[in-house]
Amino acid sequence: MAVIARRLVFFVITLWAALTINFFLPRLMPGGPVLAMMSRFRGHVTPQAMRSLELAFGVDIHENLLAQYIQYLGDIAQGRFGLSVSFFPVPVAQILMQALPWTLGLIGVTTIISFALGTLIGMVAAWRRGGLADSVLPPVLVVVSAFPYFWFGLICIYLFSAGLGWFPSGFAYDLGSPVALSWSFAGQVLRHAALPAFTITITSIGGWLLTMRNNMIATLSEDYVRMARAKGLSPLRIMVLYAGRNAVLPNITGFALSLGFVLSGALLTEIVFTYPGLGYLLYQAVVGEDYPLMQAIFLLITVAVLAAVLLADVANVLLDPRTRGHQYR
Amino acid sequence: MIGFLRIPGSARRPAWPAALLVAAIVLSSTGAGARTAVATRAAVAPVAIKRGGTLKIVTELGALWSCNFSPFVPPVNATPDSWGFIYEPLYFVNGFAKPGMPVETGMLATSYRWGAGARTLTFTLRPGVRWSDGQPLTAADVVFTFNMIKKYPALDLAGAWQVLTSVAQQGTDKVVMTLKPGAVPSFPSIAEQTYIVAQHIWSRVGNPTTYVDKAPVGTGPVLMQQCTPQNITYVRNPDYWQPGRPYIDKILFPAYTSNPPANLDLSRDPGDWGGQFMPSIQSYYIAKDPQYRHYWFPPASNNDVFINLTRAPLSARALRQAMVYAIDKQRVSLIGEYGYEPPADQTGVLLPVFGRWYDKALADSYGYRYDPQKAISLLQQAGFTRGSSGIFQTKDGKPLSFSMIVIAGNTDSVACVKIVSDDLRKVGIDVKIEALSGDAFNARLFTGDYDLAWSGVGGGITPYYELRNLLDSANTAPIGKTAATNWERYRSAEADGLFDAFAHTTDSAKQRKIMGQIENVMLRDVPVIPVVQGVWWFQWSDRVFVGWPTPQNPYANPCPYCAPDLDIVINNLHLR
Repeated sequence: MAVIARRLVFFVITLWAALTINFFLPRLMPGGPVLAMMSRFRGHVTPQAMRSLELAFGVDIHENLLAQYIQYLGDIAQGRFGLSVSFFPVPVAQILMQALPWTLGLIGVTTIISFALGTLIGMVAAWRRGGLADSVLPPVLVVVSAFPYFWFGLICIYLFSAGLGWFPSGFAYDLGSPVALSWSFAGQVLRHAALPAFTITITSIGGWLLTMRNNMIATLSEDYVRMARAKGLSPLRIMVLYAGRNAVLPNITGFALSLGFVLSGALLTEIVFTYPGLGYLLYQAVVGEDYPLMQAIFLLITVAVLAAVLLADVANVLLDPRTRGHQYR
Repeated sequence: MIGFLRIPGSARRPAWPAALLVAAIVLSSTGAGARTAVATRAAVAPVAIKRGGTLKIVTELGALWSCNFSPFVPPVNATPDSWGFIYEPLYFVNGFAKPGMPVETGMLATSYRWGAGARTLTFTLRPGVRWSDGQPLTAADVVFTFNMIKKYPALDLAGAWQVLTSVAQQGTDKVVMTLKPGAVPSFPSIAEQTYIVAQHIWSRVGNPTTYVDKAPVGTGPVLMQQCTPQNITYVRNPDYWQPGRPYIDKILFPAYTSNPPANLDLSRDPGDWGGQFMPSIQSYYIAKDPQYRHYWFPPASNNDVFINLTRAPLSARALRQAMVYAIDKQRVSLIGEYGYEPPADQTGVLLPVFGRWYDKALADSYGYRYDPQKAISLLQQAGFTRGSSGIFQTKDGKPLSFSMIVIAGNTDSVACVKIVSDDLRKVGIDVKIEALSGDAFNARLFTGDYDLAWSGVGGGITPYYELRNLLDSANTAPIGKTAATNWERYRSAEADGLFDAFAHTTDSAKQRKIMGQIENVMLRDVPVIPVVQGVWWFQWSDRVFVGWPTPQNPYANPCPYCAPDLDIVINNLHLR
């Protein structure tokens, strides 16, 4: 369709713009990886060693910026992200591959869970307006989502890990345990992920819940809902298939965007629970002026978000006939 | 200072500086005499030592593991996790040795000898050492390692080839190195900070600068069993060259990315080797098990106020001397650093650990202490006049108003700087604090774009290294260019000559005399003001493992991120 084709072109242009900004922005920052290294060394590295490291890092500041940019575009196209500076000389791709599954797993799953739960509760809360669910849950969950995350995570560790001992206090699986595809390892992963997942879900349900509830209230006043009631359809069927399906449409775009941002990890979660994900890697890369790693992670996030927006647009076109073109007025 | 990687004493450490091995120790006999290695054994009679146990190291690295065990990795984020665990150097030098304790202990070498005029250095290798793949360690491995470092300068993190001219094998078990003049203080760079690798493996890796060592083959007490970004598991090396050692079976080294989770684990588990900054350590850690839990924070290097000597009126010596009297170092230590970091001495000599280098009579003759009245009178004598606002002015009417830069992320540094600036304001010197990001701070400090700055340089096993870093004109650069460590831009032919003289002699009496003269430079010219002594973090419990280094028995630097001292500690720990 013409709409989708237009979206694709827009996608490619935005991607190129993002790549270009991704290249130039870190290089505009003051300092540089060599200066950062020098401060850490505090004078215990010879100037010759520093120079060789500069060359090895590829931070050759004498080379023309435009030539570097062309080189960068070519490397990206071939999937070559180079060697990390802060984890020198491990290839960036390798570092990313180690952190990616944990971020996708924890943040991806919790995003889906919090969206599903928030939408469901919002739907029910709007249907039974003034009822118990509507009076208690939205305000409570919205307040909880305003808690400072770091504090909330530490409280949960204090209560459930240090206090009751139900869950481990950090890491993705038991220390020293071999990484294997086995039930016991899966059990470990789930046990370790329970507390971080809980804290992330609880603090993000509030947003989904509110928007869904408000959309539902607007949808419930539509004529076709009244028609469905008059027809005598069961309340459950009306709530889910008639009102809910239409009310959730605006949220789909938001959901797709947040899926895209899953790859930026959850920095605070990873710090509090020592979870080996992408968020902390990104933070480290920025602090250590590790251009290759920074660029690779920014690229991942950008592509993911752009792809997510594209998917959201496609989904909207598929789900909502009103967006398809001029036939419907 | 053993680990130059860790910037000691700040609550939020940016990264591990590469482990800086202690610099040359004062040889307590004449240079050309033979030195025999004394194997370090803890003073424990080995009566039925229990074997086994899993030790966990709890220290906040601020980074996840990259699982690259190459000992030549530039330590941007963390120390190579193979130093001391898997790879070992020729010698271990104990900077904390008390009188009567061995200072140097042979590891892969059993003895060394200086040639005439300290122009050659001959090591005799230890027989019977095997790599973890079964091959024997030979002199060829040592020669290969040094020559490989020479060929690829990026590997020379210790700076060994700044003083070496050649390394060659002699006979079957000796390695002869020829050196440039004045190389005696560089002994630790060569013997302790250069880790030996196997020729039969590293000769086939292509470019060692970019080689990722995933399955390291070393001579050390443990083998790498498993590495993930969140944890490294080491297991006992059954063929280690010290028979019977190590006693422990397993070591877990998790990658904690921030302090609170690490402190939580440390406060709960009794079998941990802690290297943590802990606020309120008495109530949070010690009180939970006071009979068995201890902590010891040995000094590492000073945290100083750097003064930009090229800017008037800071170039006036009297002003700098007055500033020393104005600062209440005890209060800075107590409030800024929880009392963990003791006040520093103006000589820059760490006390009490370097007491044998300290010229007390000289320091007392200057009489620096906290005395705001003396500071004010010194300023008045120097010709500054106090304005109506309470701030002193120069003769031209310019107020003594300066800015002090500090890294914003280091909360303890910021606290210290606040107290220093308050103290200076009380005596009529106005100081404004600029808390900058790490990069902006570095850029300004290195290029000399500041009035005052809070920072520190690395040290070594004698005060020589820290003071040379601070004062030698070879370590500085003109304003606008990047200086290595002498950021205050101190230049004096006198100081340079003293450091060279120190480096050229092995006579310990002469060295002490020269050190006294260097201390005089610090006392007289006040190029920087040492305020508190940065420390190494160390906590331990005797409930599960015993054999730790203690202030009474400091057989090694106890911090778990200090190599190769951790090698010695691993070999001495055992179950209770």
